[in-house]
Amino acid sequence: MTAVLDLRALSVDLPLGGFLTRARLPILCDVSLSVGRGESVALVGESGSGKTTLARAVMGLTPISGGSVFFEGQRVDGDLARLRRNAAMMFQDATASLSPRLTVGYLVTEPFRIHGLPLPDPAATARDLLARVGLPPAIARRYPHELSGGQARRVGVARALALDPRLVVADEPTAGLDVSVQAEVLNLMHDLRAGMGLAYLVITHNLALVRHVADRVVVLYLGRVVEEGPTARIFAAPAHPYTASLIAAEPKPDPRRRRADLAIRGEVPSVLRRPAGCEFHTRCPLVRDLCRSTPPDLVPVGDGRQARCHFADQRQDKQGERHAVDHR
Amino acid sequence: MSALLSVENLSVSYRIPGGRLRALRDVTLSVRRGEVLGIVGESGCGKSTLAAAMIGLLPQGATVEGGAIRLEGEDMRHLSPDRQRGIRGRSVAMVFQDPMTAFNPVLTIGRQVADFTGAHGQRLPQAEIAAMLERVGIPDPARCLGRYPHELSGGMRQRVAIAAALLMRPDVLIADEPTTALDVTMEAQIIHLLRALRADFDGAIVIVTHHLGVIAELCDRVAVMYAGEVVEEAAVDDLFHDPRHPYSRALLACDPAVVIPGTGHLPTIGGRVPDLSVLPAGCAFAARCPLADALCRTSPPRVAGQGRSVLCHRAATQVAP
Amino acid sequence: MSCADETSLGARRGIGRALLADPMGLAGLVIVVLFLSMAVFAPWIAPYDPIALDVKAKFQTPSAAHWAGTDHLGRDLLSRIIWGARLALGIAITSVGIAGGLGLILGLVAGYGPRWLDGLLVLVFDSMSSLPMIFFALAVITVLGPGTATLILVIVLVSFPAYARLIRTQTLALAGADFILAERVMGAGTARILLRHLLPNVTGPLVILLCMDIPVVIMLEAGLSYLNLGVKPPAPSWGNMLSEGYNALRQAPHVVVVAGIPLVLATLGFTFLGEGLRDVLDPRGAGRRWG
Repeated sequence: MTAVLDLRALSVDLPLGGFLTRARLPILCDVSLSVGRGESVALVGESGSGKTTLARAVMGLTPISGGSVFFEGQRVDGDLARLRRNAAMMFQDATASLSPRLTVGYLVTEPFRIHGLPLPDPAATARDLLARVGLPPAIARRYPHELSGGQARRVGVARALALDPRLVVADEPTAGLDVSVQAEVLNLMHDLRAGMGLAYLVITHNLALVRHVADRVVVLYLGRVVEEGPTARIFAAPAHPYTASLIAAEPKPDPRRRRADLAIRGEVPSVLRRPAGCEFHTRCPLVRDLCRSTPPDLVPVGDGRQARCHFADQRQDKQGERHAVDHR
Repeated sequence: MSALLSVENLSVSYRIPGGRLRALRDVTLSVRRGEVLGIVGESGCGKSTLAAAMIGLLPQGATVEGGAIRLEGEDMRHLSPDRQRGIRGRSVAMVFQDPMTAFNPVLTIGRQVADFTGAHGQRLPQAEIAAMLERVGIPDPARCLGRYPHELSGGMRQRVAIAAALLMRPDVLIADEPTTALDVTMEAQIIHLLRALRADFDGAIVIVTHHLGVIAELCDRVAVMYAGEVVEEAAVDDLFHDPRHPYSRALLACDPAVVIPGTGHLPTIGGRVPDLSVLPAGCAFAARCPLADALCRTSPPRVAGQGRSVLCHRAATQVAP
Repeated sequence: MSCADETSLGARRGIGRALLADPMGLAGLVIVVLFLSMAVFAPWIAPYDPIALDVKAKFQTPSAAHWAGTDHLGRDLLSRIIWGARLALGIAITSVGIAGGLGLILGLVAGYGPRWLDGLLVLVFDSMSSLPMIFFALAVITVLGPGTATLILVIVLVSFPAYARLIRTQTLALAGADFILAERVMGAGTARILLRHLLPNVTGPLVILLCMDIPVVIMLEAGLSYLNLGVKPPAPSWGNMLSEGYNALRQAPHVVVVAGIPLVLATLGFTFLGEGLRDVLDPRGAGRRWG
């Protein structure tokens, strides 16, 4: 079965602002990933990891400088119409992604108008779409600034669903929402996936969200995939020290399980000054000499997983044990 | 031990077109020396108003309708504006969500921290400032002093803000969403820093946040706020493992971080927060509460005992799940 | 979840009602409506023909027959003021309207079009606005000869760059906004993005600026007519009336005063209205929510 979305060695770089130089700054390097039909893949990384750039490159908002994007087996090449008709995007700031002078009713039916599809009764279509995301019909008369964060998020989902897409790219779908509203949005995403066979590419730094929505996880660090594999396996025994640090850094909502020490120090280095060798070596608690000189490759480490670490194999067993103890 | 900072029956409202918005209602809280108090709640619950009131910086349009804020027993509201200003920064310091907004973009970090401390007493020598920056985990503090705010990352700015606050040797440090704007790994480092500081800082820390994980990692006691009231106050372990107020219980249950992976659905809290300008009679949570009955249409009692207090008719009779 | 959900305080208050609540804006609105109706209904409300001579009745002070008196040729001043309003507002609204439309289109194209086109257009805007206005106006009038059409052309050429630049800046700021990206992701074409999504969000400040510029144009027209470079006599231009009144200042000082009053009032009216609109349409005020 062909994947809904397939990225092959995707690279994106941005021009550096110099007047005379043609220098370009690599943001994403050789990122390959695929999202199967009905599958949900999470792309995880901190700010500066390039995850938002990836979402924009997939949707054709940022030009790609290398590699290719395949949508349902066909290469997306200049002609974005088919991709944009069948894939939708949810933006991080839901309110800002709604055109401010138009009503919700118009906004959710706009995809039909854009693609010249029949829209015999806009009001009825808007009502149906809003009902699918659990919003009352009266919302159709409101303007974006009159919506709460959770409502704007739902309107964004309703609009994304208008043309029955096969793929939804969701950039931080719960950012800025209260916990109880986050839960509502996650439940909604879950139900839609079950009901419509939607595939998700969820872009986030929130690991709690990943656990709930993702079948597979792709971890990005400085624009490179450092680990990739099934969610449950990765959370149980991360193969890359960066993934392990991310999981450890997440505050645990249980005062009895407070972390005693700190798994990771320092900050993500600037993409302007990428470290030599393994790019994570400046923050890695397990760094060795080899890491400072030789960049590791993304290699399979078993269980359908891949990791970009020289010592992933050796560490696998030990870490598995430690994590098992941790989680009792 | 007596309270260092205490809020007694504080009520605050905002003037809005056609009425008033009751942001805080009869809030009573206190924090002792050496203690970390967490204030948790969803947006619009009044937690930021409470933090602002604690440092005497309520926004325009806010009116204190009653109650007192005492620092070592002295009601801050009855002090002269000059004395209040002295207390702010000196005795009570605050760290904000985005420290970028707290810095002047055209002055170096060193200059600003020196000015800030100078405004509250003697100017501190650069060496002392550098030492404090080092204490909060800034590598190469001497170089950091010569930099401008935009040259620092969010995490570094937050560290500088904490250092500037601590240089005043305040009695109370109030942090409003100190980690919300940061990445996970930086959040962990700031939590770690605040926890380490707590050990050698002989004051009280108040953390205001919506993030339950931060509370669990950092606090000794927690106050849960809902619709302008403190609905439950308890030791952190009691709250997370034996929440008594139905809202505390619902809030803990729906946190995506807490649920065991694999379950498709998270519990939610049905309904919505009441409009604070037209509050319903009785318990503000009744409309969303699974346990609500006719009794809940009357004002709930505050049931206190065993180091906790709960604002609920059912608090005494309820059995924790 | 904010408590403002259900009420959405002050969110969609009508612009009109907000304007009426502001005393200055209301005064401006009343004056502007007054002048507009004078302009529109001039043939019906003017008591005399504005260019009909009655030399016997020259330099009459205000009386029951001639409420505002007469000028050196015995023409009824009130009628000339009323017809003058038609001329002044006609020229001002036409030229500012054309300039605004031109500025809107060029500004949108510069702000959302390809970079090279933007560069070219900005060069045009900058060179146009670097010309000293009055000398440029004199040069054009010298070449084309004075007259209403020349006057409109001069005003359009002088004022459109400012409008275009305003629109361009706004468009540039919005081009990278999330809602524009969202439209592009959905596959919206350039025309839809420009007309449906950018246009409604950039016109507010332009409307304010146009309103504030109308008195400037009225003054310019009066000034040029006063110098006999604008509207040709005997057309009832306020500037011509001032000029003629000035020549007869000693015999009949009331002519200058009468000709000056509408000029001052119209200027104040449009300025007040512009200020009022600014308060109402200010982007920071629109959609403001507490909490």
